[in-house]
Amino acid sequence: MGGKQDPTTANGSPKSEPTATKNTTPDLLNSFFSFKSLKLKTKQQELLLRVSILGLVYVLAFIARLFSVLRYESMIHEFDPYFNYRTTLFLTEKGFHEFWNWFDSESWYPLGRIIGGTLYPGLMVTAALIYWALRFLRFFVHIREVCVLTAPFFASNTTVVAYFFGKEIWDTGAGLVAAALIAICPGYISRSVAGSYDNEAVAIFALLLTFYLFVKAVKTGSLSWALGSAFGYFYMVSAWGGYVFIINLVPLYVLVMLITGRYSMRLYVAYNCMYILGMLLAMQIRFVGFQHVQSGEHMGAMGVFLLMQVFYFLDWVKYKLNDTKLFQTFLKITVTSAILVGGIALGVGTASGYISPWTGRFYSLLDPTYAKDHIPIIASVSEHQPTAWSSFMFDYHILLFLFPAGLYFCFKRLSDATIFIVMYGLTSLYFAGVMVRLILVATPAVCLISAIAVSATVKNLTSLLRTKQKVPQTGSTKGVGSSKSSSKVTLDQSQPFQKNGAIALLVGVFYLLSRYAIHCTWVTSEAYSSPSIVLAARGAHGNRIIFDDYREAYYWLRQNTPTDAKVMSWWDYGYQITAMGNRTVIVDNNTWNNTHIATVGRAMSSYEDEAYDIMRSLDVNYVLVVFGGVTGYSSDDINKFLWMVRIGGGVYPVIKEPDYLVNGEFRVDKGASPKMLNCLMYKLCYYRFGELVTEYGKPAGYDRARGVEIGNKDIKLEHLEEAYTTSNWIVRIYRVKPPTNRV
Amino acid sequence: MAVHTTLPYRFFLSIALLSITAVSEPTDLTTELVSLRSSSESGVIRLNDVSKFITSVATPRPYSLIIFFNSIDLNSNPLQNFRREFGFVSASFIANNNNRSDVTNKLFFCEIDSSDSESFHRFGIQSLPQICLVDPSMENLRHHERGMMEEADVDGTAESVAEFVESRTKLTVGPIHRPPLLSKTQIGVIASLIAISAPFLIKKFLKGETFLHDSRFWQYGAVLVYFFSVSGTMHNIINSIPMYLRDPEDSNRLVFFYEEPEIQLGAEALSVGLLYTGVGLLLAYVTDALVRVRNVNEQRVAMVLVMVVSFLAVKRVVYLNNWKTGYQIQMYWPSSWQ
Repeated sequence: MGGKQDPTTANGSPKSEPTATKNTTPDLLNSFFSFKSLKLKTKQQELLLRVSILGLVYVLAFIARLFSVLRYESMIHEFDPYFNYRTTLFLTEKGFHEFWNWFDSESWYPLGRIIGGTLYPGLMVTAALIYWALRFLRFFVHIREVCVLTAPFFASNTTVVAYFFGKEIWDTGAGLVAAALIAICPGYISRSVAGSYDNEAVAIFALLLTFYLFVKAVKTGSLSWALGSAFGYFYMVSAWGGYVFIINLVPLYVLVMLITGRYSMRLYVAYNCMYILGMLLAMQIRFVGFQHVQSGEHMGAMGVFLLMQVFYFLDWVKYKLNDTKLFQTFLKITVTSAILVGGIALGVGTASGYISPWTGRFYSLLDPTYAKDHIPIIASVSEHQPTAWSSFMFDYHILLFLFPAGLYFCFKRLSDATIFIVMYGLTSLYFAGVMVRLILVATPAVCLISAIAVSATVKNLTSLLRTKQKVPQTGSTKGVGSSKSSSKVTLDQSQPFQKNGAIALLVGVFYLLSRYAIHCTWVTSEAYSSPSIVLAARGAHGNRIIFDDYREAYYWLRQNTPTDAKVMSWWDYGYQITAMGNRTVIVDNNTWNNTHIATVGRAMSSYEDEAYDIMRSLDVNYVLVVFGGVTGYSSDDINKFLWMVRIGGGVYPVIKEPDYLVNGEFRVDKGASPKMLNCLMYKLCYYRFGELVTEYGKPAGYDRARGVEIGNKDIKLEHLEEAYTTSNWIVRIYRVKPPTNRV
Repeated sequence: MAVHTTLPYRFFLSIALLSITAVSEPTDLTTELVSLRSSSESGVIRLNDVSKFITSVATPRPYSLIIFFNSIDLNSNPLQNFRREFGFVSASFIANNNNRSDVTNKLFFCEIDSSDSESFHRFGIQSLPQICLVDPSMENLRHHERGMMEEADVDGTAESVAEFVESRTKLTVGPIHRPPLLSKTQIGVIASLIAISAPFLIKKFLKGETFLHDSRFWQYGAVLVYFFSVSGTMHNIINSIPMYLRDPEDSNRLVFFYEEPEIQLGAEALSVGLLYTGVGLLLAYVTDALVRVRNVNEQRVAMVLVMVVSFLAVKRVVYLNNWKTGYQIQMYWPSSWQ
């Protein structure tokens, strides 16, 4: 950061924060590198420092995410990653062509699922490429290891992009700070620890890369950067549905630039190239298809594209027509007709059904109450809940305090790049407030803006310290808007107090940053490194107890059931059953068919004989439920049960939520509603539980997850029989009996 | 039902009738109800005297009452929204049957507040929202099941109430009239304002002189969006969470902070958001603006002030966070300093 020595100019203007006194550090460094043979020039020293810091950050970003591997083992986490892993395995075994045309009959029985047309293949292809590359280099690793480590690897790459992005919008110092901040920011780590093999793992890298290249393109007006950004966009589209954020943010940015009178040829080149090429490339992804020209979510981008052409055209006409009056009339006519034509086209498109209206997920971002009222399947997912302030605190820590400061500095030195980062930061922060999971998207922006705050603060303070020794010096500064603002920072003869105050503040800043590092490490190790497929708890003596029931159950299914058996469970476990148990499921985490899920929800919330008919109609052989009453595991099926009722009731009105509640309260003890006590889910979870003493001093049948004694201890099953219960009762599997012979 | 129409019961009832409502004839009661209704805005009568209009009138009464059980103290938004919807049904019923007093005087819309605990007890109300139709022949309020609106139908819309009324009373409510979001004059004024100002705005815009070209506007907007987001306001809007709660044990005490990581109250969110924003802006102010102040004393005072304020604010946020989540978040200072 410190040792760059710019040629000083002698224009006499009092200057300047970035290069005010670069002479002291080189001396220091020179004495440090005092080997005669190794003597480096100041610029080289600076480069060396920068590269080594970046290298360290790169390594840090990787190793900070390995807690889960060290603590448990190298395994895939959670739910969705199991599907990704399964498809990647398929891809490496059968090749890309087969993968692209894969019809999966093992999920969504009896409907099946066309895998190639309903997924974002970016992640799988990336992992497969890494795998093939490693094999080509004669590193014979298992594909699972590649999948487990893909997320940390891409997180490391993201830090590099963050560095360049920070350098682009502010300076190298901000770049380095941004890289360091994002390397360990909990908001990002939460989705990129080793084993969380999910789309977001590569998508955040792609997102930041696209933005960086686009900003670079706007800054330089060069076609090659715009081309790069189009390819970055293509990678993003191939990796994650969150690309919709890019295709709306970029046009919004362009629109703001147009409104604030910052239209330029550079912007024109960057946006047009990026939009047209990006759109054409994105159409190659089957899951996205022609949405770019058909769906309402993408229409904003197209509108801005047309607006750009109008602007350019007007510019051209203005240049050709020298008469201002003539131009004014012309302007009026063009603007009115453009708006008219656009409005009519949009109206006709929507009315004729050619342009589809916004999807529920997108709509729920703009009108956040929408999902809660209309789409229970979205509202039921815990990561789609709106964010409370404590989550922000948990994921951002001091970045939250630095963010407004960073905004302030950005506004002090407005340029095309800072406008972009401010817009990115604010929109994503708003979305983060709507849905917890979108904190992830906001994290890079928050890190970058906070890095600006840290960098600018440190720079201001150190220059304050240095001006004591040197009379104000001048230096050339890089960047578009920097000369204007930096000249404002006039540091005349500094008083002794200033120096002390600056030292105190500097110490404070570094102290805060060190605390941030500690917090991040702690959060990563405590909260974000649990695979959730293997559960850990603290025993009575503080020792760690591992519950490996999920895998036990899935391997049981794999070993002990016929290969064509169909397993019914709530959709959360679908991916895991197909990936680890290798059995066909009725519904899974790809929640594309609400009716099918509702059918399962209805079966779970009906009486056994009614459920039996439904299960027979779906050819179900086994039913799997997750139950935490013995271990006190709270995210089990009983706690998810109301969502099954709601989703089931959304399609089949026979299922009514009040039937399962008592005075609006959900209970499983003696006071529970009769329907609740006799529905299939209750019976399957609590079968034989009434005989079991779970806790000392409590009656038999004491449910530790809900802290009550259950209400129905004498459960008889008529059409199902218990097939397997794991060692801690977390997973229970039942076999559906064939119908009795009719005599 | 049969049990309560036994002779002693009847006898008791007639005694009660004689003693209390000796003066009021049913027709008088109807006129009284009509006058009460006309004095209320949406035609919903605040029923303070249940015995006068229901229990002490001999059946069959000349009118039906549909009662909305309300609770102002509960301070629940959905309940009050439902109450407003109920008001729309009442107003629509009167408006749609305007010239037919024989219809409008058959049914009166009433409400009973939970402060009238005696009436709540009489009807045996356990949960809210609840709507009850007291038809002309109903005698015992405790056995009112047939008059109760079914729980599944109580979905908070005016339509459901209207349907309920029509199915039970054979009276027609007709289409529900909701007041438009903006009245016609308002729309007219707004439209004309836009029409008048449009040329000026466009002219200004083309010249590049609007507030949109002023970076300060964007700056304030940015800070506002930040404040709005980090305080979790969206959380409160989506879950329609009130600003504060009343302490269930002591109704005079207000609860502003809620000890549960996933839930927050409105006032809590705003105060934490303010703390965040304040500290952030102070930091920017100190490092960017304060260094340019020439007077040393001014600087000194400002600096100390800023430090103290930031320290307190951060301490407060950390304290709240630890208290709320139960997580011991990493301190900004070693824990031994606490």
